Amino acid sequence: MSVPDYMQCAEDHQTLLVLVRPVGGVSEENFFRIYRRICTVSHPGVRDSQRALCIRYRHHYPPENNEWGDFQTHRKVVGLIAVADCCSAKDWPQAVEKFHVQKEAYGATLYDSRLLVFGLRGELAEPPRPDVAFYPSYDDCATVEKRVEDFIESLFIVLESKRLDRATDKSGDKIPLLCVPFEKKDFVGLDTDSSPVSVLLGLKRHYKKRCQGRMRKHVGDLCLQAGMLQDSLVHYHMSVELLRSVNDFLWLGAALEGLCSASVIYHYPGGTSGKTGARRFQGSSLPAEAANRHRPGAQEVLIDPGALTANGINPDTSAEIGRAKNCLSPEDIIDKYKEAISYYSKYKNAGVIELEACVKAVRVLAIQKRSMEASEFLQNAVYINLRQLSEEEKIQRYSILSELYELIGFHRKSAFFKRVAAMQCVAPSIAEPGWRACYKLLLETLPGYSLSLDPKDFNKGTHRGWAAVQMRLLHELVYASRRMGNPALSVRHLSFLLQTMLDFLSDQEKKDITQSLETYTSKCPGTMELITLPDGLTLPPVPFTKLPIVRRVELLGLPASLRPQKMKSLLGQSMSTKSPFIYSPIIAHNRGEERNKKIDFQWVQGDVCEVQLMVYNPMPFELRVENMGLLTSGVEFESLPAALSLPAESGLYPVTLVGVPQTTGMITVHGYHTTVFGVFSDCLLDHLPGIKTSGSTVEVIPALPRLQISTSLPRSAHSLQPSSGDEISTNVSVQLYNGETQQLIVKLENIGMEPLEKLEVTSKILTTKEKLYGDFLSWNLEETLAQFPLQPGKVATFTVNIKVKLDFSCQENLLQDLSDDGISVSGFPLSSPFRQVVRPRVESKPVNPPESSRAGDFSHVKTLEAILNFKYSGGPGHVEGYYRSLSLGLHVEVEPSVFFTRVSTLPATSTRQCHLLLDVFNSTEHELTISARSNEELILHAGECQRMAIQVDKFNFESFPVPPGEKGQFANAEQLEEERREAWGLEINSKLDIRWRVPSLQRSGEASVEGLLNQLVLEHLQLAPLQWDVLVDGQLCDCEAAAACQVGDPVRLEVRLTNRSPRSVGPFALTVVPFQDHQNGVHNYDLHDTISFVGSSTFYLDAVKPLGQSACLGALLFLYAGDFFLHIRFHEDSRSKELPPSWFCLPSVHVRALEAQA
Amino acid sequence: MAVCIAVIAKENYPLYIRSTPTENELKFHYMVHTSLDVVDEKISAMGKALVDQRELYLGLLYPTEDYKVYPSVPSRMFRKLHNSYTDVMCNPFYNPGDRIQSRAFDNMVMSMMIQVC
Repeated sequence: MSVPDYMQCAEDHQTLLVLVRPVGGVSEENFFRIYRRICTVSHPGVRDSQRALCIRYRHHYPPENNEWGDFQTHRKVVGLIAVADCCSAKDWPQAVEKFHVQKEAYGATLYDSRLLVFGLRGELAEPPRPDVAFYPSYDDCATVEKRVEDFIESLFIVLESKRLDRATDKSGDKIPLLCVPFEKKDFVGLDTDSSPVSVLLGLKRHYKKRCQGRMRKHVGDLCLQAGMLQDSLVHYHMSVELLRSVNDFLWLGAALEGLCSASVIYHYPGGTSGKTGARRFQGSSLPAEAANRHRPGAQEVLIDPGALTANGINPDTSAEIGRAKNCLSPEDIIDKYKEAISYYSKYKNAGVIELEACVKAVRVLAIQKRSMEASEFLQNAVYINLRQLSEEEKIQRYSILSELYELIGFHRKSAFFKRVAAMQCVAPSIAEPGWRACYKLLLETLPGYSLSLDPKDFNKGTHRGWAAVQMRLLHELVYASRRMGNPALSVRHLSFLLQTMLDFLSDQEKKDITQSLETYTSKCPGTMELITLPDGLTLPPVPFTKLPIVRRVELLGLPASLRPQKMKSLLGQSMSTKSPFIYSPIIAHNRGEERNKKIDFQWVQGDVCEVQLMVYNPMPFELRVENMGLLTSGVEFESLPAALSLPAESGLYPVTLVGVPQTTGMITVHGYHTTVFGVFSDCLLDHLPGIKTSGSTVEVIPALPRLQISTSLPRSAHSLQPSSGDEISTNVSVQLYNGETQQLIVKLENIGMEPLEKLEVTSKILTTKEKLYGDFLSWNLEETLAQFPLQPGKVATFTVNIKVKLDFSCQENLLQDLSDDGISVSGFPLSSPFRQVVRPRVESKPVNPPESSRAGDFSHVKTLEAILNFKYSGGPGHVEGYYRSLSLGLHVEVEPSVFFTRVSTLPATSTRQCHLLLDVFNSTEHELTISARSNEELILHAGECQRMAIQVDKFNFESFPVPPGEKGQFANAEQLEEERREAWGLEINSKLDIRWRVPSLQRSGEASVEGLLNQLVLEHLQLAPLQWDVLVDGQLCDCEAAAACQVGDPVRLEVRLTNRSPRSVGPFALTVVPFQDHQNGVHNYDLHDTISFVGSSTFYLDAVKPLGQSACLGALLFLYAGDFFLHIRFHEDSRSKELPPSWFCLPSVHVRALEAQA
Repeated sequence: MAVCIAVIAKENYPLYIRSTPTENELKFHYMVHTSLDVVDEKISAMGKALVDQRELYLGLLYPTEDYKVYPSVPSRMFRKLHNSYTDVMCNPFYNPGDRIQSRAFDNMVMSMMIQVC
């Protein structure tokens, strides 16, 4: 006996073995159809009996196993059913022939046999035989089962007769010795009957016991097969006792095993094989759940199925109690199995029996849930050395071991043996390696290594399972699938290996794996499709989320110049219309959550959008990632894939993926796709562990035009100081002299696909310390707008005037000069004695200062920066209320042109006018001309300083419009004053209209005095609110021209006061002091003899109300001819002191008295 | 003589494995891996019986053709190993669940493999 039946289980001991064989041209398909139908008759009831039979059908049974039939009767083929196919009567004899051949092969053990013939209708001449049945076809054979049942009944009758025959044969005259095949030769020639030697040695008694014991055991087997469990137990017990006494170990083992089997059948009616759970006694009403438990109280009361009669339970309980001892307890079963196996192991030839016993014991233990002991049995089974096994047998053996280990819950061992079986399938000694079977077996080992082929299972938490063995298994899967000729499968497995085991791979392994992966994918690229294996297993796609590893995904807004902005509606964009409350904690909370998800910028249809990924390459070599693009939904999106090459073990590396949304709506970025080593991967962000993302849904708004600007000025590398989040797309710079004006021509080109319909231009001057006078930037938008709408590709121009007017003063120097020259601005009349002191300063005065110190101050270049902001819109985006803005940065370097180093005033001859004296310094390196009003040009060489005097009318500042009211409300008094002064400055400047020109550079500009007018100067330039008019003889005396009068005639003198100030002034006392100027610095006041006053020389003026007028009259009488001056002097009085002295600047009167002409 | 010593995490992967015949390491991997079935079985059986009383020594796992596999070697040797393992766990820079990469532990294991015969 050499072929073990690994599927055996304890309850097989009660079965009758029936062989079903095809004879004569039966197709395999038809044979198995019939075989399956025959197999359904496995537990036929036996007529007139409560006993149950079990039939075990085999379609193949090695005859040498049959030879062990005496040892254990269930190994004996007792029935033969032959299936024959006869198309015609001609085939018939051949079929019968074959049938007989089969019968002969198993003839020694057969109880009965049958031949089922298909295709004939019994139209044979021969007389009908009882052991042959005819069926016209495979479909028309309804009575097959019935016939099989009849056949089994006949088998039972034979069995029963044999049992009775042997059981009652108690005479003991001559019991034959039952032998196993290998024993036969040992007993040849051993005449146990007559030899006196044997009698002497007591061998005869010994031999007889042996015969008896073996026969008992045999009867026990027959009883068990015949369904008489209790009887069999009794026989086995007796057999055990007999055989133990003669040390017949092999048969003792068999008897013990029989005992175990019978007990197992009793305790576990559900069977131990685990597969055919339905195998149980017919008529048994045990509930299914009880099937695998042993019966409660089995030790106390035993109900013998064999004792059941139609009358019920046998009343003789004493017999039953006696039998109770016969049945083994579950623990004893195992002990007895152990014992039996230990006996078997003494015989090398009984290896198969031992092995099968082990297997049977394991199944029992599995049911008893005693895994540890089961594993010991299995361990033993592993080391049972059978003869040289064929490769197929080895595979079978390992598979069975694996199954058994699985059965006892040892999944890892099970997996181990399954893997060994798989390897056996493709052992080098096999001519045709069964890669397919190997692969299939390998797949079955996966759970044992806690490995699933779904990469998603590896995303969560730490790695599970034993990486080293898992890797090995995956390698084997790859290899097997490749040899199977399924490259797609091997690519999938290899990808899986690379993706999930990356952390455990050494650098060399990484290299090797990727190389082989590339080799495979060159023939069959890896896809994202589910691979379904023929046996229904599906292999999910393996996206390479670790090649490269993505750490962060960030959707990027459009660059500032292209970022769409929503036009503010009247209600305000941010106002939530859902709630009437301005603030509610609930709403705020919700909004916070929303904000996390949603991104606060928009993408624009048709414009390239970017997503930035921070990636790194975990590989020890350069990683080439091709075809990397975005996976999106919600909006039609044209992804523009990128290819990148990451250096080995790179740090975080930014990668920007781009695409163009083609429609509008909400777009969600789900992930990205890559092609690495020829494997396509779709990596979804949800499945990436440890990824940082700031939201992945963004709104795509309708298309907007795109504006590109270019200017007439050179671009500059200067970047403006970043302020208020304005991002400048272009910077231009220009160098100007202070006061110069330049035109900036901006070309607006629509480079988008939509017409540009709206344009708004605003400017913003960046905070600068410099004080700026006048409009820095000015433009006229109408001309440009006339060219709108601007179609794609068209250009419009737009002109901006840049005017720089910074302070022209040279501050600290100016102050210094003013302080030592304070007198020059005092309110004394022209004829004051100090005039001479002032006058010399009017002449030209070349400045020869130490160049080093002053040059630094003057050549200081100042910088002005401004942003021109173009808001534009058009196309569908405009309809939706979006616009874009583009900023142009303007960088102006202002070089000083001229400086006014000093300013002062001189009273002019008229009280309504005065001279403004300006010391002008040319700080350029060129010759420069300067002119004011209609004055002629003054030429200044580089670095030269000259004084220029400009005669100006005094200003009546009171009449200026008050600065706009709303400002005044907020500003304090200081600011108001400041503004007023600015307005005055502007007015003065516009009157002065000072211009400079650099002929060599062809450049010209203005100069402004606004910054250098201080309070003192302003007061002098201001028309005093008290307007004094002196009339001599009814004529207004205001200029240097002398009023003429005749000696002797009284001259009327009238002093008139017009009050323009907002307050009432006066009363004043004025004294007229006449004097003569000798033109040599001597004033002669002693004129009592020459001039006589008619009336008083002192006038009194009443208080003058605002806008009121007052006048006083007097008369003078000149006694001699001559030139006289009248000085009208105030009487100092406390009140008038409150008013500025310049208010009391009365014109001096020059009177020329002439000889009366007769 | 100990030929292979492994420390297994409770999630059934090796924290540490070292064997002296280095050329056939995978064999030991398989051996230790399959032995875990027995450990599982023993622990689950123990869980029912003795909850508190932890028996650290589980006994012989199973004899293979060439070697005997113990969940941990008896007596003094085991104590040494366990103490060393405790030291590793006490290392504040050790992340539970990571592989053990400690030179001290390494040396201890090596000494055990050489010494004990």
